[in-house]
Amino acid sequence: MNNTNITKEDISAIYPKVADIMADALGCDVEKVKPDSSLINDLGAESIDFLDIIFRLERTFKVKIPRGKIVEEARGNLSEAEFETGGVVTPAGVERLKFFLSEVPAERFSSPLKVADIPRLFTTETFCKMAIRQQRATAGTPPA
Amino acid sequence: MNSPESNEDGLRGGVALVTGGSRGIGRAIVQRLAASGMAVHFTYRGNAAAANEVIAANPAGKITAAVVDVRDSAACARFAEQVADRAGRIDLLVNNAGVVRDNPLTALEDEDVRVVLETNVTGVFNMARAVAPYLISQRRGKIINLSSVSGEKGGRGQTNYAASKGAVNAFTKSLAVELAPRGITVNAVAPGVIETEMSRAVRELAGEQILSRILLRRIGQPEEVAHAVWFLASHFANYITGQILNVDGGFKLE
Repeated sequence: MNNTNITKEDISAIYPKVADIMADALGCDVEKVKPDSSLINDLGAESIDFLDIIFRLERTFKVKIPRGKIVEEARGNLSEAEFETGGVVTPAGVERLKFFLSEVPAERFSSPLKVADIPRLFTTETFCKMAIRQQRATAGTPPA
Repeated sequence: MNSPESNEDGLRGGVALVTGGSRGIGRAIVQRLAASGMAVHFTYRGNAAAANEVIAANPAGKITAAVVDVRDSAACARFAEQVADRAGRIDLLVNNAGVVRDNPLTALEDEDVRVVLETNVTGVFNMARAVAPYLISQRRGKIINLSSVSGEKGGRGQTNYAASKGAVNAFTKSLAVELAPRGITVNAVAPGVIETEMSRAVRELAGEQILSRILLRRIGQPEEVAHAVWFLASHFANYITGQILNVDGGFKLE
């Protein structure tokens, strides 16, 4: 599972719905939600808000999103030990994250990057991509 | 919020889920909430005749019943989703379903421990996990768990039941902390000795002697527990969360 088969058009198609979900879950105006907004740093999301966002995405797009899905998919074929040591993402792990979270500006990847801080990277577009991936997984579409 | 002079409880038009609503305290809760104008969707495990009685006895009430084993988390999730899809929202969850299998510790079978903990504790987890996402999304709602005085005070032959209700108390306080940021309240009602089928064995075993341990010198009625649940569900209790409300006539330790 990677990014290459999700196009800008795919994201644009569902972006308005996802932005509405973000605004509703976070109790802010939808104009404040931008594709590259960091949910935590820019929109003030807390952990309970993430649960709400995931739940709303599941209801809206009729998909099931297992908890911890983004980090798990981001890790890809790296083992846990290859991805992180002592709660800090390894250089290989950071490279993998930068690839998987290609929508996140590179300067936002702090060094060292703690595993606990990965959610700080998530943007509105991150959730668009997740919804698309889960929709495809549900529909049984094989990756291109 | 109505003025303090108003008797309106704020429940009319609301949507409630009640587990174990066909008999005993659960039935009284269903009827009390329906009388306040809530649409009440209750679960029961197997006694369809009893469930139909509740619906037939309240022709004016908006009451539906469904067979759900609260030990089955997928069944709980489906039930919550069906109600939310049909009603558009959920305002109140009352975790009432519970069982007793009393016996001295050394006489308890594996099954007696398992069934009590799975129904009374895991069942509460399952239904709360199924309903909480809707309440979080709505930024409002209430959860009320049925505990028991034995959860705090213990009781002879009740290690399994008392442990399960102690867990419900701790669960209630923890979930109140988690959901408070979204304005959702979580409380418990802890009945003492109440006149139900479930408590009949305990009452028969203890005889008249049990009254000497109750300050008010009488057994409670299911409706008296239902009134406490109604109060916590109403907007009169909007500023109460994480509390265990005893409804026990003043039950004393031995």
